[in-house]
Amino acid sequence: MEDESFCNISGKPISLDCQSHSSFCREFTVSTPKISIGKVMVYTCSVWLFAYTVFFFTQNTAVLSSAILITLVGMMLHIHFVKVDHESLLVIGSLGIQVSSSYASGREVTTFIEMSKIKDIVINEAVYLHQIIYYLCVLLRDPSEPHGVSSVVTLFQSSKPRLNCLVKIYKSCQEILSTCK
Amino acid sequence: MGQRKKVGAVKTSSSENDTGEASKVSPKHNICMVSDFFYPNMGGVESHIYQLSQCLIEKGHKVVIATHAYGRRKGVRYLTNGLKVYYLPLQVMYNQSTATTCFHSLPLLRCVFVRERITVVHAHSSFSAMAHDALFHAKTMGLNTVFTDHSLFGFADVSSVLTNKLLTVSLCDTNHIVCVSYTSKENTVLRAALNPEIVSVIPNAVDPTDFTPDPSQRPTDRITIVVISRLVYRKGIDLLGGIIPELCLKHPDLHFLIGGEGPKRIVLEEVREKYQLHDRVRLLGALEHKDVRGVLVQGHIFLNTSLTEAFCMAIVEGASCGLQVVSTRVGGIPEVLPEDLITLCEPTVSSLCKGLEKVIAKQRSGSFPSPNSTHARVKNLYTWRNVAERTEKVYDRVAGEEVLPLEKRLWRLRSHCGPVAGSIFAFVAVLDFLFLLLLQWLVPDRHMDFAVDATGPNGLWVKKRQKSEPGC
Repeated sequence: MEDESFCNISGKPISLDCQSHSSFCREFTVSTPKISIGKVMVYTCSVWLFAYTVFFFTQNTAVLSSAILITLVGMMLHIHFVKVDHESLLVIGSLGIQVSSSYASGREVTTFIEMSKIKDIVINEAVYLHQIIYYLCVLLRDPSEPHGVSSVVTLFQSSKPRLNCLVKIYKSCQEILSTCK
Repeated sequence: MGQRKKVGAVKTSSSENDTGEASKVSPKHNICMVSDFFYPNMGGVESHIYQLSQCLIEKGHKVVIATHAYGRRKGVRYLTNGLKVYYLPLQVMYNQSTATTCFHSLPLLRCVFVRERITVVHAHSSFSAMAHDALFHAKTMGLNTVFTDHSLFGFADVSSVLTNKLLTVSLCDTNHIVCVSYTSKENTVLRAALNPEIVSVIPNAVDPTDFTPDPSQRPTDRITIVVISRLVYRKGIDLLGGIIPELCLKHPDLHFLIGGEGPKRIVLEEVREKYQLHDRVRLLGALEHKDVRGVLVQGHIFLNTSLTEAFCMAIVEGASCGLQVVSTRVGGIPEVLPEDLITLCEPTVSSLCKGLEKVIAKQRSGSFPSPNSTHARVKNLYTWRNVAERTEKVYDRVAGEEVLPLEKRLWRLRSHCGPVAGSIFAFVAVLDFLFLLLLQWLVPDRHMDFAVDATGPNGLWVKKRQKSEPGC
């Protein structure tokens, strides 16, 4: 078991945790840093200050109470649907791949892909907003065509690690995949 | 500017690692070709970029191509021999050319230039807004720039006055410009008010193995004239419409074979209808490049009626297939082929008819050299290897030149492009520089991953090929 620190594409530190349960079962967990209290303060204060300015001119107290509601609901939605705490990839040779991402609120989304559906795991390049980035993805086999690819499942979609981290995960995934084919 | 120093440092360290002597003699460049026009769009510029890139890869340079997204084809693709193509999602405005706002393409192009460690940016075609944008940004980022002009322009009408001004602005601080013929060079130098010393002439090329003659395909009982061009005004299709009835009346064994599609097709169809020539004038419609040879070898005479042409590839292809070429004397065409392989006429119906009659009479008497001997002569005139060698020299020269720093660039813009346009574009250049600083603050270079080289000195694709070659 080891814990290494890398960067994601916007330069924020992330940590990669590789656990080797056995020779054909490995788990990779990429954790992103927790929400900083400073950032929460900045967002809350800016919403409240804006609400106070509106209140100053309109003298309507509903503005202030709605500002409080907006910040509370916004924070809840953010930690429940947006903020991913860690993403993990569990590769079990001859069985399949399990991809799960757990949100800051504790919600967890898990998908499992059987080995028979998996064609390969590759690192690919894509245009993402105003950048061109590398990402790791699983190629799914097309059942009708033995050499075709039916679709692609992107891994570590919200943490977006940089190439050096992806290469590390890619190499150990390939070790397992090559043994079971 | 710091960007450039870093790139230089990376380059020298990589060339030190190289043990080959050849790489020390001529430095290897990281070249980015930028144009709006690339495959899947078909045309002369597209095949020029592709063939040139392939030959440069063969010579050991790293080449990537940046173009805009075509429909669902976006992102990063690899072509033969690891030629990497970036299809960037930029909005297409008109005729497959992107909109230019001078700024919106900077983030993506910067990303391409930084991650591929580009040293030379080579833009193609003056119709391409993306090429001009890339030149502008590359200069802001302190990269060396080369521009290839593929077309001729007029001076009189409003649209060419505007394009010429844009070209002046875009080229006044570009390191080197390449034109496809001497006529094109003259035209570009005049249009963009350039110093002729920084303009080189490198012609286009054809792949001679694609265009071999096959006399057995020719019908013996008649004479066929082949025309292959887009059916547009520029290609002189109205002239063709005048020639067809006149010659068909005189020579009952004369047939026309016309390949290509365009708005002027209606002219030819009208002529065919009016003079009842359905069996003698065949319109083949749009042809794919691979089918062109099959059409060419069926003919005896190749006719080109262009009204303006920088360098006519079609006549070289025709001659390579062993056909007798008749063409208008416009633009760079007189430079293209030796005098005895081509008959030049003025761009009028009467002159073209006279020229064609002369050639038909000669063809009947059989005094022309055989198609194979013509092919042998044309074969070595224009090869892509030669083009790549000459382009390489341009890159070597450009790599040694300094890129103008901002204050000199502003001064150059103001002194070369007139007080109004110069000042406007100097202001735009300053804004571009500030935008670049903002981007460098938002997404610093050190947070971008360098791309894995497919081609070039450390190219993985090339190594794989070299490894497999001894085994074959």
